[in-house]
Amino acid sequence: MTQPILSTNNMPFCPGCGHGVAIKNLAKALEEAGYSPLDVIVVSDIGCAGLVDPILATHTIHGLHGRAPALALGVSLGLSSPGKKVVAIQGDGGATIGLQHLLEAARRNVDITLIVLNNLLYGMTGGQMSGLSTVEFKAGKQITDDTPPFDIVKLVHEAGAAYSSRITSPGDFKAQFLEALRAPGFSLVEVACLCPSHGVKKLKDLSIVALGDLKLAHEREPGRAAFRPTEPLFAQDKPERPSYRSNIKERLGLLIAGSAGGGIQSAARLIANAGILSGLHVTMKGEYPITVGTGFSAAEVILSRDKIHYTGLEHPDVVVAATEDGLVKARSRIHAHTILVLDSKLKEEAFPNAVYGDFQKEAGKQGAALSAAARWLVQEGVLQVEALLEVARKHKHGEAMVEVLEKCKSVEV
Amino acid sequence: MQLIDGSRIITEACVRAGADVYVGYPITPSNWFYAYAQKRFPLFLAGPDEISVLQWMAGFSAAGRLPVTATSFPGLALMVESLNMAHMMELPMLIIVTQRLGPSTGSATTGAQGDLLLLRGALSGGYQIPVFCPSNFEDCWNLTYEGIKTAIRYRTPVVLLTSKEMVMTYRSFDLSSLPEVKKVERETPKVELPYQSYRAGADGVPPFVPLGDATHQVRLNASTHGNLGLIQKTSDEAMANTRRLQDKLEQHIPDFTFYELDEEPGADELIVSYGISADAARDALAELRRRGRKGSLLVIKTLLPVPPAVLDILEQYEKQVFVEENLPGLLKELIYGHARRKNIRSVNKIGSMITPSEILM
Repeated sequence: MTQPILSTNNMPFCPGCGHGVAIKNLAKALEEAGYSPLDVIVVSDIGCAGLVDPILATHTIHGLHGRAPALALGVSLGLSSPGKKVVAIQGDGGATIGLQHLLEAARRNVDITLIVLNNLLYGMTGGQMSGLSTVEFKAGKQITDDTPPFDIVKLVHEAGAAYSSRITSPGDFKAQFLEALRAPGFSLVEVACLCPSHGVKKLKDLSIVALGDLKLAHEREPGRAAFRPTEPLFAQDKPERPSYRSNIKERLGLLIAGSAGGGIQSAARLIANAGILSGLHVTMKGEYPITVGTGFSAAEVILSRDKIHYTGLEHPDVVVAATEDGLVKARSRIHAHTILVLDSKLKEEAFPNAVYGDFQKEAGKQGAALSAAARWLVQEGVLQVEALLEVARKHKHGEAMVEVLEKCKSVEV
Repeated sequence: MQLIDGSRIITEACVRAGADVYVGYPITPSNWFYAYAQKRFPLFLAGPDEISVLQWMAGFSAAGRLPVTATSFPGLALMVESLNMAHMMELPMLIIVTQRLGPSTGSATTGAQGDLLLLRGALSGGYQIPVFCPSNFEDCWNLTYEGIKTAIRYRTPVVLLTSKEMVMTYRSFDLSSLPEVKKVERETPKVELPYQSYRAGADGVPPFVPLGDATHQVRLNASTHGNLGLIQKTSDEAMANTRRLQDKLEQHIPDFTFYELDEEPGADELIVSYGISADAARDALAELRRRGRKGSLLVIKTLLPVPPAVLDILEQYEKQVFVEENLPGLLKELIYGHARRKNIRSVNKIGSMITPSEILM
């Protein structure tokens, strides 16, 4: 005989409340299933259903209103020893506040048994109607409201629960609790009852005002947490010595701007990496609208002999714009001393000192920005083309970049 | 040197320090954490919303795991009630908050420093959770470790307060310069029998036993409770337990006080900054000194609770310049409230990073 789940038979509910019957049945079912009190973790919600902690000899965790199934999900997946049972208990108020949590736990079929003590109203705040109050119940309470209730037994079934059932007849329903406890994964038992403080004065017959008995099941594997070993995101090896030259003396700030999908971010990262191979300190950051596949894309790269603290770029020294989108984005940051590297297609713009090239034509839409930036950097001796090529060759999708960079060899000084 | 971003450094430090579960809901500019966590955390779970995220994390923490998430203001707002719960239950966890331009949805891809006072006021009753704020990549590494250590040692949620510019900017960085981060081991709790989940010793921290323990009955509670973890309205025991939540952190602040102080003898002006504005302040100070003027810099890394050591430093300087990327000056308000004070200058901005020259003006 296992130890009793309940530490007392005195229920904490109002006299005549069906919640006490449900809790006693639950305790009997847990004992019959072979659980000792410390095998069981009860997650209790706010409201009348949340009064259960003190009468239980189990582990208890009493959380927020509506969140018991979510809290229970974390507990269930987080437990390190097998053979435990997580039981969540909430009322109809809690079930509707956190309806998403019931559906999510059911969808994942996480090993939790959720008991919904449905007294068809909010008991602790004055007997207001809940999302599980039926039209008949509301009519009996002299409330005209033809909004139908949620059927949570069906809802969690649709979401994937291994087991869900509703009990509307008082008495011994230990057997149904046992079925729920033994179901592989998420199970829900809704126990309907009438609230002696707010519900039963005129309404005596639960069978008229509650949704009918129901039992639904899925054959599914329970959702489990697979903790796995992983590899570090980086090694902390001593860095290799830089092997390329750069002629820069001070900090050089580049703004590379173009259209989304124009390889702007990859080009900027490639240049930053080539800077590191050339013994420089670098920073690189992207700027883009929320949209991913349309609009502008811009990136800032700073190359410096000294350690860089501030990563902002007040006045870029060089602006590379391969498309109209890019030039529009960069325009406000162009000053009298800014060096402009632009695609020939943008020539109608009034920038007499700009350096132009047929970057789009030669390197295509995706390679134009890299082509423009790399040409200028190589031509000015900021980076050697081999430094850029070394990075491109190591890149997963570097073939196209290598092709663009090979063409820059001719401009190297 | 290698090119690396702050999100990657923080994620790696989390796992090395012993964090084993990441529960996330994607939100810009915290998405890189989500991506890295999928590769690196022993367990990764995609929550359906941020309330679920924090509830799941609380469940994992109660079962003895060390969960982490990363979010931004809109997600943090949804987490606030559950953050109160985790604090009340005394559950260790790390919440990375990447600040972005607000109010409301604001601009998701623009950085900001706008959430400090939200975190200061997030708990009903003014209770506090430690908030650490990295000002560079070394901090990203070290403060993540310290955050997890503090969360476990003091049974509390900890926030790592970052910004888009800290976690989505790549820098050349020598990773071999970072100290080794070892798993934060949980001490075997010294349990007095019978075990009571909230009975604390002199250090104010109740020994942690996870739910499901085979020997001790564990009771955790988000409502006002006594030592046993059962609801007690305002009994002497329950009030003492609630006061303990305040005292627990207060008495240990020196253990998690982090700041950087670059003091110059004879300087009467102190630049005060934190997080993403700190690098501009470092450059501004260097420029100031190049110009032959004297100045000191305080970069605060433990923002909450405000460390007495930080107040001691501030008291030594008559002139102070508060540098932060928000309009009202949230750090200044945290420290001085609305009192009128002479000799305090504020450098505030929204929409782009404060520049070194703006600090020098």
